[in-house]
Parts: sequence; C-alpha cells; structure tokens
Amino acid sequence: MDITTFTSNKKFWIWGISLLAVLAALATLPQWLGSYYVILLKDILMLVLITVSWVIFSGPTGYMSLASAAFFGVGVYTSALLLPMTGAVLPLLLVIVIAGLVSFILGLLAGALTLRLKGIYFAVFTFGLVLLIQRFLLWFEMNITHTRGRFVLLVEDNTIFYVMLAIFVATLLTAYFIRRSKFGLALQSIGLNEEAAAHSGVNVTRVKVITFAISAVFMGAAGAIYATKLTYIDPYIAFNPLFSFLPVLMAIFGGLGSFYGPIIGAALFSYLQEFLKTEFPFQYMIIFGLLLMAVIVFMPRGLVGLVQRLLASLKEGPEEKSTPGWAIIFCLFGILGGLVGWFIFRERRGARVLLKAGGVVTLIGGAAYLLMFLLTLLGGLGGGYF
Amino acid sequence: METVLNVAVAGLLLGGIFALISVGLSLQYGVARVLNVAHGEFIMIGAFVTWVLYTEFGINPLLCMVIVGPAIFVIGFILYRTMFNYIRIKAPSPDAFEGNSILAAFGLLFVIQYIALTLWGSNIHGYTYLAFPIHLGTVTIAANRLVTLGFAVGISFVFYIFLARTRLGKAIRSAAQDPATASLMGVNIKRVLAICFGLGALMAGIAGVLLSMTYPVNANMGLHYTIIAIIVVVLGGMGSIVGSFIGGFILGIVGSIVSYFDPGLALVAYYAIFILLLLVRPKGIMGK
Amino acid sequence: MSKKILIIFSVIVLLVGGLFVACDEEDDDVNGNGEPPVTKDEIIFGGSRPITGGNAIWEEVGFGPLYRLWISEVNAAGGLYIAEYGTSLPIVYEGYIYDDTSDIGTMTRQLERLMTVDEVDFVLSPASTASLFAGAPIFSKYEYVMLCAEGGATSIEDQLYALPYFFGVLNYSNRYQLPVFADLCLELGIDEVAMIWIQDLHGIEYAGVAATEFANAGIEVLMSKSVPPDVSDVSLLLLEAQASGADALCMFAYPDQNFLIIGTMIGMGINFDAILVGPGGNISALPGIFGPNIEGLMFEGAWNCNSTPGAQAFCDLFDSVYPPGTGDWWGHILYWGGVQFFEQAIVEAGTLDNTVIRDVMATSTFDTVLGPTWFDMFGDGGGLLAIECHAGEIGQWQNMVPEVIDPPNQYGEKRTADPWYPKPDWPTE
Repeated sequence: MDITTFTSNKKFWIWGISLLAVLAALATLPQWLGSYYVILLKDILMLVLITVSWVIFSGPTGYMSLASAAFFGVGVYTSALLLPMTGAVLPLLLVIVIAGLVSFILGLLAGALTLRLKGIYFAVFTFGLVLLIQRFLLWFEMNITHTRGRFVLLVEDNTIFYVMLAIFVATLLTAYFIRRSKFGLALQSIGLNEEAAAHSGVNVTRVKVITFAISAVFMGAAGAIYATKLTYIDPYIAFNPLFSFLPVLMAIFGGLGSFYGPIIGAALFSYLQEFLKTEFPFQYMIIFGLLLMAVIVFMPRGLVGLVQRLLASLKEGPEEKSTPGWAIIFCLFGILGGLVGWFIFRERRGARVLLKAGGVVTLIGGAAYLLMFLLTLLGGLGGGYF
Repeated sequence: METVLNVAVAGLLLGGIFALISVGLSLQYGVARVLNVAHGEFIMIGAFVTWVLYTEFGINPLLCMVIVGPAIFVIGFILYRTMFNYIRIKAPSPDAFEGNSILAAFGLLFVIQYIALTLWGSNIHGYTYLAFPIHLGTVTIAANRLVTLGFAVGISFVFYIFLARTRLGKAIRSAAQDPATASLMGVNIKRVLAICFGLGALMAGIAGVLLSMTYPVNANMGLHYTIIAIIVVVLGGMGSIVGSFIGGFILGIVGSIVSYFDPGLALVAYYAIFILLLLVRPKGIMGK
Repeated sequence: MSKKILIIFSVIVLLVGGLFVACDEEDDDVNGNGEPPVTKDEIIFGGSRPITGGNAIWEEVGFGPLYRLWISEVNAAGGLYIAEYGTSLPIVYEGYIYDDTSDIGTMTRQLERLMTVDEVDFVLSPASTASLFAGAPIFSKYEYVMLCAEGGATSIEDQLYALPYFFGVLNYSNRYQLPVFADLCLELGIDEVAMIWIQDLHGIEYAGVAATEFANAGIEVLMSKSVPPDVSDVSLLLLEAQASGADALCMFAYPDQNFLIIGTMIGMGINFDAILVGPGGNISALPGIFGPNIEGLMFEGAWNCNSTPGAQAFCDLFDSVYPPGTGDWWGHILYWGGVQFFEQAIVEAGTLDNTVIRDVMATSTFDTVLGPTWFDMFGDGGGLLAIECHAGEIGQWQNMVPEVIDPPNQYGEKRTADPWYPKPDWPTE
C-alpha cells in the first residue's frame, strides 16, 4: 500500500481534516453531555461501526453475511469470561484486543468453510453460525460449567465511550484504506465477476477470507466493550440475531454505493429507533415498519441515492414528470386506516393509537409529497418519485 | 422396533408441518423473488383469525381455511401489485430488488405484528380441537396432527397439479425461469408475480389455520416459522414446490431422529443437513 | 391534475394528519417529556417495559396491569400524602413508560435516561429475570428503589449484598417453590419423576434445584431432558417419559413450550398421576385454552381469592377493571402486596427521596394484601420478600379454579384445598 497516493490527494486532506474535527468534537462530548446521551451516543457509534465493518466485506463483494451477531457475541462472551464482576482477569484494553482476535480467528474459520457458498446459501449459513454458537455455548454451560448467566464488571460510562470511539475510528480508517487499496479493488472485482477476478490473478479465496476476518475484528471488539454496560450476559443475550439483521438494514437504509452512506444510514436509523421507543412506545412498531417501507418505496437507493439524485437534478434540471400516485395512496391509506381503526375499535385498547398512527402516516406521506412537489415546482427534484 | 416406528411417525408429522409452512415461501422467493421475512406473520394472522372464529363464533377450524385463505390471498396480491411491484420497477438490478424487498418485508413484519398486538394483545392463546388419540397398531397419533399432515400433503399436491397443468401455472413457471422472456411471450408478468405472492401468503394463512390446532398462538410466533421456512426453501431448491415439500420432510424426519437423543441438538442437525446437501447438490434438492 | 388542486390536496392531507395526531395530545403528554417539574404537584413514575417483543406478555398479564391499576387506585383516592410537601400528590406515568422491545441493551439505556434525563421520582421494575439482573446495578448506582416484579433466580442472591436498592418480590425455585413441591411429593407418595426443562437459565435453574431437592427427599429422577425454546415436537419426549413409568411430570419451561407439551399430551392421551406446569400454568387464560382438560394440573405459583383475608377484595377490584383471562395466579398477589408495601413506605418516609424510602422498606413491616409484609434483608444490601409472606408455592386447578396445595411447613399453613391425587384422566370430547 503506497501512502503517497493518499497524501497527494486533495480530497483526502479535506475529508481527513473534517473527520478529525468531528472526532475532536465527539471526544469532548462527555464533558458537557449527561450520562444518558453519552451512552446513547456510544450505542449509535457501535451500530455505525458494526454496519461499516459489515460493509467492508459485504459491500463490494455482494455476499450478504448474517454472521455479524456471531462475531459480536464472541466479543461479548470474551468480555464475560475475562472481566467477571468478581474482578478483572486481564486489563480492559487487553480484553478488547483479545476479543477482536478471537473474532478474527472465528472469521477466518467461518470464511474458509463457507465462502464457497454463494448468494442466499451463504446468507443462510452465516445466520446458522450465530444459532450454532449460541446453542453450543448453552450446551457447554449447562453440561460442563453449570453456570446460569454471567455478571460482568461495571466500567465507567466515559471509559466505555472512549473505548468505543477508538474502535469506531479504527473501523473507519480500516474501511477507508481497504476501499482505497489494491485489496479493495480486488474485492470489487470479485463482486463484479468472481471468475474473471480469479483469471486476472486475484487470489480470490485468500482476499475473501482475510477481508471477512478483518471485518469481524471490530464487531468482536465492540461486543466486548458493550458487555461491560449490559453487566449481565447469557448466550441468548450475547448472540442476539438482531445484530445480524441490523447492519444489513442500516446499510441499505443509508445506501450501499458510497463510503459515507452506511455511516449516515446507521446513525440516523439507530437514533430514530431510540426516539420512537421512548416518544411513541405504543406506536413504535407501526411507525418504524411504515417508515422502512416508505424509505424503500421512495428511496430505493437509500438516503445517499436520494441526495445524489437531488444534487444531480439541481445541476441538470428537473426530470420528466409522472403521475403523483404513490404519495397520494400513502396518505389515503393513512387517513383511511386511522378512521377505520377508530370506528371499529373505539371501545378497545389501541383505538386512539391507530388513529394517531394513521395521523403520523398521513403526515409523513403528506409532508414527503408536499416537499417533493414544491421541489418539482422549483425545478429541483424530478417527479420521478411519484 | 416400536421406538423406530414412533420416531418415523413423529418425523412424518413434523415434516408435514415444515413442508406446509415452506411451500408458500418457495413460491414467494423462488418466483416472485421476495425473501418474505414476514412469511411467519401471515402464519400468525391465519392462526389468530382461526382462534377468534373458533372461540367466539364457533366456526370449525377446518372451515376457517376457506375464509382465511382467500382473504390473505387478496392481501398478498395487493401488497405485491402495489408495493413490491413498485420496488421491483424502481430497483436498478434484480439483486438490488432482492435486498430492497427484504427491507420492505421487514417493514411489513413490524406492521403486521403491530396490528396483531393491537387487536389481540401479547397474551398467549389457544384452543383444543380434535385433541384425541388415534391408535394405529402400536403407534399413537394425535388426531389434529394427523389432519394437519393430511392437509399438508393434499394442498401441496393440488398446488403441484395447478402449476403443472393449468395455463396460469405454466405462466408462473415460465416467470420463474426467465421473467423477461416470459413477458415477451405475452405473460402479464405483474399479474403473475402478484398472484404468486398472493398464493404464497394464502399457503401461509392455511398453515396458520392448521398450526393453531396444535401450537399456542401469540403475536410473536411468526419469526420462528420464517427461519425454518427459509432453511427448507433453500434446501429444496429455489422455486421448486416439490423440492420444498421433500426438504420439509427430510428436515422433519432428521429433526425427530436427533430429538430422540437430544432435542437441543435439532437445530444443529438442520444445519448439518443443510451443509451436507449443499456440498452434494449446490443448488438444493430440486435446483437446476 | 393541475398544480392548484395538488397543493390544496397536500394542505388538506397535512391538516387531517395533524388533527389526528393532535387529538390525542392532551391525554398523552401531561407533563411534556424531559422537563423536570419546577414545583412538585405530581409524583412521576417511569419505566422501561416490554411493550413489544418476546417478553411483551408480561406487560399484558404480569406486572403491567397491576401498576396501572395501583396508580389509578391511588389517584382515585386523591394521591399519596407526602409530608415533606404537606399535601397529597397524584401519580403520573403516561409518557414515561418506554418500550424496551424485550432487549436488555435498550432497557439499560432507557433506565439511565429515566434516572438522569427525565429525573423521574420512581422507576418501575423492568420485566424478566435477565432484565432484573442487568438493571439492578443501575438502580443502585443512581439510588433508585427497585421494587422487582417479574423474575428472580438463585444466582442473584450472592450479588444482593452489594445491591442495597434491590427488593425482590416474586418467589422462585429454591425460594420456596421446589422445597414445597418435594414435600408435596412425599405427602402424596410420588417417588419417581420425569423432568422436561428449557435450555435457558430458567430451565437450568429449576432442573438443578429440583434435582437437589428431589435427592434430599429420596425421590428418583427417571428422566431429565432439555428442550430448546423453538422446539416443534415433544411427542417422543412424552412417550419416553411415559415409558419411564414416572409418577409425576415436571415441565420447567415457558408458556410456549408448556402449552405445546400439554396439548400433545391431550392429543396422544398421555397422562401422569401428577403434572407440574411451569410458567404459563398459572395464567387465568388457561381454562379458556384447554377447557376441562386443566382439571388436576399443578402449577407454580400460587394463590387464589381465598388465600389471604384481603385476597377477595383484590380479586374483585381486578375483575372490575380487566377482562377475564388477564390474571396471573403466581405473581399478581405478590406484585400487589409489593406496591401496597411501597405505597406505605413512601407515605411513612414522607419524602420522595429514594434513599430514605429504601431504609424504611428495609426495616419496616406493613399490612398488605399478603398480611403482615416485610423483606428479608441481605446484610446492608438488598432484600427478598420473606417466605412467610408468600401466599403459596404450588397450586392445582380444581373445578376450573386455582387452589393452593402446599403442605404445611415452618413458614405457615397456606393450603386452600386438599390436593387431587392421582390427576384425573383427560376428559374425552
């Protein structure tokens, strides 16, 4: 890897300096934020870094890995074993490193075993890995150690935050350099056409396995530090399949094409979840579900796709207009759903909820529609979305 | 010998259930290209509606299939004809459509679960129907499980005939193989894919009706069935009803054999089969 | 469509949507989130509860209905009298109940939010044993009283000395269900049992404690097999249990598995002289699901409307508010006793300062629906509800009604009816 190719690039410096500024700002946050926001930020950083490390491998190659929860869980469990509540066996930072290493080794093994599989077969097998490790650990704990869950050492919130921030930075740098290196090119050529890549001299298996393992390192490290906040661990908590699906959803939400898409997607997605769970606890599911559907319908290339499209149409003028079908249907569904829900279930729990949810849907649809429409009038965004 | 017979019978009964929940997803993923992670939610809806109809209106659960099936078909048809079809048209490539449709299906999962939670709450429900033993020689079988197996085999057979013999079935099969060519040959691809998705949902609904006779019903029951269905569909080969049918029975029988020794290892066994079969036949049992 | 129509349409849509959202506003946000009240005119309870996800059943039939009932009762009576303010303050919880989606990480984060951002006066217990364990250090760190509801396990007992704000209410395996069950087996002459348990902390704990208790009582365990949470078929296990010739079958699993086991037993006509059903056997929806088949089933719990002098009044109150099928014959009376105890401790302390209330709770005995109620304290740490205060440990469905069948022991006489033994055959349809 030739470092001068980076230092001579103007864009690299602009991005680098602005990134440093953002990081510096992040690093001082605990000084003036309450502990809840520090924790929230830490969790958002964690989800972003898991998403970014998922994208390191799955983005360019197109192999949809669902093994994230396995790597993450291995980290959680390493922490539970080496940092028990009764007293740390090893220093915290060393445990984080070890967790990363264990995940790396698991990544190597899993990669070597499964990368012959393609497409959905690969996805299903990697997901199976999560359940396999979970069940094996359960069996082991039940029959060999006879433990019933493990308590993990309490660590200062700020310490957790800074460790997570450090892992976050390491992930971003690694992702960036892999993307920009020959390695990244090799990965992309694999994604485009694996056989052609092999013919042009890429050691396909080695590149895939190593990248897969590298992407596992950060998930493991993140899991290890996450465990110290959970304080109580069992195999079901550690190997939560949710962490397999979240990075995929977040990356698609942000847009897979670019480097910053998954970052923005994951950050927004995780904040949105927290916001809905606390502000709309009884409507969380429906709002979140409709939002997911709306995002895909309105923004098939994720947030980044939308932004790119907006920029392009600002430069080149509006696109061809078509009928504004979807937004209207969306709004009508919201209104109808709300009203029908209200009339049918007036006497039951959830009547007002349905009405409110209908309102929210209508508002989202209406607002999105109006925004797009105004933009069209201004000559900005094309009506192609309708 | 008696033990072997018991294990075989239990395996067949379980396999029938697995086949039943997988055939629908096989259509949805194999032909309509939607890896519908909300598949289990349609099963849940079918089970809940049956529970309501049986406990509050006294309608025979088997009769419920006639009510639930068409209703869910219409929902599935509309969903594909509007949302998924729109996503398909907007997606830059078939791969992008697969990814996007998973995300949309996740959204659907949340929405359906929310509706179920609002209507029926998170409590656990159930009813007893046809819960009496049938003795066949030395083997004892619960009547409701036998009925489930019968319907699983019967409905899958009807489906197979439908795909193999009817005009619509041929259109569906041609759409599965090559959508572009099929539409050139005069197949209304939008309609055919929507029918496929609707039929998949219908199968899920019917599976829900039958499952509610033996399993407890609650709003969180779906995901578990979705995972099994995905394994079976991949195992059986994409878009092959017969493959899913056989795959379901293989999984059920192996699951029962392993469960006889240690039920905790059933899942491990499923994955072992999965890997072994993929090594022998990389595209599934009936894959081409 | 012309542009004008489109704009008018959008505006109408926005107005209607806004109306929908706004019409709910007055009920939902009494206080506005995040702003601590300047003057004290209400007591705020917050909570991170499983509104969705796998634990959501507990928010519907566990502690959920009880805290809502309790708060509405307190408010109907004019609120809680707090001496420090010289007046009675109503309790508010709307807008401060968050959805933890049955995820531990989310739960711990939301607890932290309630305690440091919202600065609520009290925080309700999260649901499930794992949540209690993960939440306990946070409650202690921010000095909030943790009146636990759903959950409890032996493994917390070692930690309790360092968790002064932990007040466990629910009974569990060695406290004091399984010792009582072993005694019951001796009384009924059960000397061989089969166990099916879930591969989960709950299953490991109950199977482990049961093995010890049965060994002490000289009862032989003929079969002990575990099932995964997603088990699809239990017919082979049941055939094996039947073939083992055991007198009793114990299911230490969750409702999903337990109901599948019961359903399969009915379907295959497999019966035992005694059948102990774990969590799920106690819910009042059970008669609706299995009908007359529940006759003679034993369950972990336990209480009924005759268990204590105050129980009938509580039953009537509960039934007047909630539909049938939302009751719980294990935890409800304990949770109710817990909140009544808590209420009296707050009034006695005369302040909303959790540290003062904690000390009152640690040292006092109050009269509740359970009778005289107190906590066994673990040194300077937390406490567990005294075993003497439990309404019962093992129940049995008799004539479609739950009865407590504990044999008398050093903690008192809790039996409400003599046990049926052997269990009657499954009724034929």
